[in-house]
Amino acid sequence: MGATFLRSFLVQGAWNYHTMLGTGFAFALLPGLRRLYRQDPDALEAAIRRHTEHFNAHPYLTGVALGAALRLEQEGADEGTVRRFKTAVRGPLGSLGDRLVWASWLPAVALASLVIYWLGAGWAWSSAFFLVVYNAGHLALRVWGLRAGWSAGREVAGRLRAAGLGELAERLGPVGAVLSGLLCGVLGAGPLADAGDGGLWVALASAGFVLGLAAGHRAWRAAAVGTVVAVAAVVVVSSLPGGAG
Amino acid sequence: MPIVLFRVDERLIHGQVVIGWGHALRPERYLVVDDDLAESAWEQELYALAATGVDVEFLTVGGARDRLDGWRADPTRSILLTRDVRSMARLGEGGALADEQVNLGGLHHEPGKSELLPYLFVTREDREELRRLADSGAEVSARDLPDASRVPLADLIEA
Amino acid sequence: MGGLQLFGLVVLGGLVGLDGTSVGQFMVSRPLIAGALAGWIVGDPATGIAMGAVLELFLLVSFPTGGSRFPEGSTATVVAVGTASAVGGPGALPLGVALGLAWGHLGGSTVTALRKANTRAAAAPGRPMGPGRVGRALTRGIGMDFARAVLLTAAGLTVGTGLLSSPARAWPLSDDRSLALLIVGGFVSAGISLHGLGGARARGLWFLTGAAMGVAAMRIL
Repeated sequence: MGATFLRSFLVQGAWNYHTMLGTGFAFALLPGLRRLYRQDPDALEAAIRRHTEHFNAHPYLTGVALGAALRLEQEGADEGTVRRFKTAVRGPLGSLGDRLVWASWLPAVALASLVIYWLGAGWAWSSAFFLVVYNAGHLALRVWGLRAGWSAGREVAGRLRAAGLGELAERLGPVGAVLSGLLCGVLGAGPLADAGDGGLWVALASAGFVLGLAAGHRAWRAAAVGTVVAVAAVVVVSSLPGGAG
Repeated sequence: MPIVLFRVDERLIHGQVVIGWGHALRPERYLVVDDDLAESAWEQELYALAATGVDVEFLTVGGARDRLDGWRADPTRSILLTRDVRSMARLGEGGALADEQVNLGGLHHEPGKSELLPYLFVTREDREELRRLADSGAEVSARDLPDASRVPLADLIEA
Repeated sequence: MGGLQLFGLVVLGGLVGLDGTSVGQFMVSRPLIAGALAGWIVGDPATGIAMGAVLELFLLVSFPTGGSRFPEGSTATVVAVGTASAVGGPGALPLGVALGLAWGHLGGSTVTALRKANTRAAAAPGRPMGPGRVGRALTRGIGMDFARAVLLTAAGLTVGTGLLSSPARAWPLSDDRSLALLIVGGFVSAGISLHGLGGARARGLWFLTGAAMGVAAMRIL
């Protein structure tokens, strides 16, 4: 189980569009499969083959499927059951992980770290805060997932429901909104106000914020391209004869 | 329009359906039609986990055929999902899905399948079932997400 | 920039590139952390994290979700900080960040290209699927990803130091205004993040509470 835990950190190492996490999934299971099928090389090869098949989930929650797959193999479940389990579990593991980790936990900790940084904490405190807090949650989730899968096997749905990961993500929503507000307040009263120009920068930033709020992800490329173009424009204008430079 | 989407998607209830189509169509119920799943409590529990608060019913193809008209008359907005083409084609036998839009949303790669679109890989049997579904009167097209473009079946396989 | 520093930055680019998807995902690949580490290598962690923080603000809404293509912030931040340190001058920070934004986009496409190469390798038919082959396929995938991130970082540093030296010296804006210009773009991401959390109606009050607290904190500190 320890070896599988360590190997689970590499589960996305050979990400591809056909089997997605398949290769990494089989690699993480290998120590356990080797032990189970020590006497039977053909059975080992068949097991590796079924676990290199298509699999996809959130990487931090893949341990749930790894643990449960090992349990099923140990119980001697037939190939069809193993396949059906993996097919059924990847959807919930993917969507729960995306909502909890990528859409809630990571932005919340990143926002908090940025607030701390712009409030004046040095580089060491800001980055240590991010790494320690973020990975406390990250590692707890990985450890919990592998153990839950291993102990519950194909009945792991009950564990996932009882853990309330979706509800936790929901509860992090207001936290993220407060932190987002904090960051905007800190930046507005700090660097944007300090730049002067009669509130021009605060006004521009507010307009940008409203654009993002209204348009969602579609606004991202415009913001990035707009910023690069603005910087380039400053360079061009300053290089003109008699320009601002 | 109480069944707001008929979709073939191997992953059944997952991110694209819950978030992508869910935000656009606001379903109040998922109807999962599959003979094996209708018998398997532990699999139902797993699939239902991804539904985030929306009701899920699991039915056999036969059971679903009996209730199609009832769902159509019911004000509850439903998304009907099968995980293979065959179940949808059986559901549509005898014109039960005539003039309905049937959406192909995701069938992943496996050895021996051929690629129709990056998210759509089919076996030879799938092709026949698709033709059978279209011949029964359903309007079949592929689209993974509501804001993607719709590809009619005729552009995917030769008639 | 010394040869040892260049070597350090390129290796760092490879490592944080791996952390994004292939290995671990401890999020040392986030711009804030990659920036601090790159700054530490060039002897100026404070500038490193300043650039990392601005890029983090932009990439708040970009997550390493499996299938979708997003700018790669990790290697881009190393390129941004390394370039800024090498070119110096008043424009080092804004020009470095702008280069980082562009390079992140390029990085995202190299991730997609590598995944396609992995797909072709995984599709190679016929060979038996023994334990050895699984390990080799994974090692190959991780090695290729490391090489990709190393090359991407080295190329970015070469382009950046080649193109940006003289504009960085001639940069006309004050440090305060340069930072404000970049933060304006970053505010779009802050808006997108609130949109993703449920929008103004669901979360507006929470957001405004936070904003008031933020302004108050700045006044007091």
